[in-house]
Amino acid sequence: MKDLKHLIYFENLLQEAQNELVTKAVEDGKRALGYNCYYIPETLLNLPGCFSSRLRAPRCTSTDVASYYMTNRTCPYVRSILERAIEGGYSYLDALFGAENCAAMERMEEHFFLLDLVKKDSFFVTQIDPPMKGNKTNLDYYKAQLKLKVVDELEKRFGVDVSEEAMRAAIADHNEISRVITEIGEYRKLDNPPITGYEFHVIQLVSQVCPHYLILPYLQETLEEIKTREPEEKFPYRARVALVGSEIDDPDFTKLIESCGAMVVADRYCFGSFPSREQIEILPGETAFDAICRHYLHWNQCARFMDGMKIDQRPSEVKRLVDEFKADGVIYENMKFCEFWSYEKVLASHIFVNELHIPTCTIEKEYALGAVGQLRTRFQAFIESLEIKNIQGGK
Amino acid sequence: MKKFWKVLFKILGKTLLVALIAFVATFALYMFNGENKLIYYVIRPFLNKHYDSQVRDRKI
Amino acid sequence: MKITDKLIASIDKKLQRFDPIWRAENGLGGQRDRYYDKTGVAKYREWRGVKDTFYDYTQWLKNLGSMALMVGSAPIPCLKGFWEYRWMGSYLGTFMFIDRLFEGYRGYELRVAHKNMHAIVQSLTKKIALVLANDKRLGGGPLSDVMVPMDEVLPPLFMAGFKELIPIPLQTLPEFIICDVDQHIEPYYIDVAEAYGLPADVCSRCAAETGVAIDDAFPIFGKAFLTTNMPCNASEATSMFQRRRLGLPDQPVTMAMIHNEPGAHPYSTQELKDAIDFIEKEYGVKYDWDALFARAKHMNEQNTIELEKWDYFKTPYSALVGIAETLYRLYSWASVNGQEDYFTKTDRKVIKIMRKAYEERYQPFGGKTRHRAFLWGPSAVYYTDFPTWVQNCWGINIVLNMDSTMGHNMISTDDPEQAIKDLALFSEKGVMRHHAVGGWDNVNAVWEWAKNFNCDMVLFNDNIACKGMLGVHAVMEEQARDLGFHFIFIEHDLEDCRTVSRQAMRNCVNNYMSVVLNEKPLDPTIVEFDDSEAY
Repeated sequence: MKDLKHLIYFENLLQEAQNELVTKAVEDGKRALGYNCYYIPETLLNLPGCFSSRLRAPRCTSTDVASYYMTNRTCPYVRSILERAIEGGYSYLDALFGAENCAAMERMEEHFFLLDLVKKDSFFVTQIDPPMKGNKTNLDYYKAQLKLKVVDELEKRFGVDVSEEAMRAAIADHNEISRVITEIGEYRKLDNPPITGYEFHVIQLVSQVCPHYLILPYLQETLEEIKTREPEEKFPYRARVALVGSEIDDPDFTKLIESCGAMVVADRYCFGSFPSREQIEILPGETAFDAICRHYLHWNQCARFMDGMKIDQRPSEVKRLVDEFKADGVIYENMKFCEFWSYEKVLASHIFVNELHIPTCTIEKEYALGAVGQLRTRFQAFIESLEIKNIQGGK
Repeated sequence: MKKFWKVLFKILGKTLLVALIAFVATFALYMFNGENKLIYYVIRPFLNKHYDSQVRDRKI
Repeated sequence: MKITDKLIASIDKKLQRFDPIWRAENGLGGQRDRYYDKTGVAKYREWRGVKDTFYDYTQWLKNLGSMALMVGSAPIPCLKGFWEYRWMGSYLGTFMFIDRLFEGYRGYELRVAHKNMHAIVQSLTKKIALVLANDKRLGGGPLSDVMVPMDEVLPPLFMAGFKELIPIPLQTLPEFIICDVDQHIEPYYIDVAEAYGLPADVCSRCAAETGVAIDDAFPIFGKAFLTTNMPCNASEATSMFQRRRLGLPDQPVTMAMIHNEPGAHPYSTQELKDAIDFIEKEYGVKYDWDALFARAKHMNEQNTIELEKWDYFKTPYSALVGIAETLYRLYSWASVNGQEDYFTKTDRKVIKIMRKAYEERYQPFGGKTRHRAFLWGPSAVYYTDFPTWVQNCWGINIVLNMDSTMGHNMISTDDPEQAIKDLALFSEKGVMRHHAVGGWDNVNAVWEWAKNFNCDMVLFNDNIACKGMLGVHAVMEEQARDLGFHFIFIEHDLEDCRTVSRQAMRNCVNNYMSVVLNEKPLDPTIVEFDDSEAY
């Protein structure tokens, strides 16, 4: 396939947390609002005058100082973020909106104020207590927490407009960027897609780490380009897989899988488009803020949800993606030292293989892709098994 | 009356004797850690052998 | 001096060469002399002098009686239980466990310790008999369907409003308490879970619970199951496996994690109300506030006494010390939670002894305490007698433990709406959670606690798989340095003695005491010893 016009530009934007678009937005006088997790609705951080910045630590190869603070037995994603923060990599931030979604994440976010990592007088950190069920009690709590620790704080500290109109504008912004990303992503459903999983991963990531108003034109142009892009003559992969898991923010990981012969057709992980790029609907009689909270609670696929409805939603959502995107199997990832996904992986692999009959390969990984030899071997073996299964007509 | 006292003393004596024997036996068992030795060296190894041979219905 | 006292003093003098404390003081040996190597089996029990040995013997008899009563009350289910469940076999180690806990205890501290311990033994044995007699796997019983399996970390007091029902902390028997008794039991269940792909770096307590679920080793009873998010991430995750295995309708009672904020309590209150609605629906019973108030009165009295105990803990004259305090508070709060009269009675007796000991300016352990330590962070379950060792070896008195600070607010006994709010606050401050999760301020509170209790030392339990506590490693150490506390990380793996052995835990203290403080042990025989094969 012909290279996407902006791919290299997008790749470059992913090399630093403070990329050129982030710098431009800061220079434009926008408030940079950092977050780590889907529990913090990106939409609320894109209220007028603000932009969301989902924290990554690209090219982080050593977490020595962060390991001193948090030991080397905690989540490597979390330590990488802390390391980058200690290096001064997030000095552009005006606020960090955290959540006690997992203990390691929460502790890492605490270090932002304990160690005074962002040297701006106005910088602050808040942490919500995120819900663990999808019912009304928990939705009410979610709303209360987001109001108290995000909306009210933004209004009080930065004078951000949090009116109904502003919320509706933020939803419109979310829906537009999500429409573009979803439309691009839908091409992966084709038998011979005009986009690779790696390219989509890059596109999805830039939509999360760059100010929307600055990245959107590039994304729209990319969508138009893909509409007329000629795919390879023949589908160049041996199998199609859905990638499921936690904090996968390194497109090279997707590239690794694809280099082993399987196209990543669906991305159901924390930085992926499932969830994150669904349209927010405002129901009749509902406020925009309520719609945002309901939307994010409904689509959230975090492994920490405990009620039956949300527990069942996780494999059924993967099954939906496998069916719609015609995946032959699932690669199930968990970050090393992650309590939630470690458990979820055990249960999910059992459900996928024995109950849903979806071939599944489970792996545990570090944040930074270092020694990939073992992973490559695992992926190659799995993809070969999928290929054989396909040749044998799914038997 | 004399006979009554005799019987009573006899019963009391026997009770005391039984209590004394019980005390000596239990105190010896206690002091020499008898029950723990029995459990550690005899009962638990026997039970563990049984547990190890159990077929359990393992599933998720 | 009375003649009997004279006689006893003379016997004590003659037999003192058998007293391990005297032996250690005189360079002739110490506590470890009595043991067969590795096993933890003592050749003979500790000679504590006539009075204390006789007292210890009577308490041994008393505990033996409780066990006999347990078997007597349900002989067939008990025998079946021993045959069916691996974890039941471990309960046979109870006597050895009690001996370990109270090594070196004399006088008032021994009396108080046994009173507390017997409360636990009599309660636990009744609970075991009740569970086994109604375990559907073993044939069931008349109460099978009125028992409510609950997560052990969910404080059961609010369930007292269901007077027809019996809440049972599900994991306590096969997992938590039994790991206290036998360090080798949970590694078996951990291995079962890991055989199914669970990584070895997750919290071993929850891995063990998962293993019990996979191994089908939970007793079966009840019509619906209450799970919880408490205390932390791994326990939330393991609930998924337990609900699948039990196959009962379940309600996760997810209390606020960041619980030190006013905004959290209305949510937690609603969660408790939802749980009550769920139980009413599943069991077809009605909540009775008066029944709750009756038990809340007991809990309030226990907490009132607890607060008085804290005043004594602040002095060198507390008869309640170390593990006798820690284990009792843990069991009486987390497992009993105001539901058994026996504990209120025990507290009344204990506080009387504590008052007397204070009036007499009685110092426990013969006044040999050199340091007063606050024990912070969740402790190693497989090394329950660690506080005893640390006192006997280095003279470090564990004055109070993090988990002992659990919910001590009073609960309204006449207003349902206030009572449920009080219960929410009370439950949020549960075991392993009050200070371990919910934000920096909670964990950082240790210094204030340590200062208030006149401690010069903080022993920080460093569960190698506890992500929440690992996340504050360096800042805690830096704080200790700044504030001038002696600070020791005690590395452990909560329920897996294979990862960090008891000796490795002891070495954390040994190294600090000998290298940093240059102190000599009180009993050199217990600085380094092999108890790897002990229960």
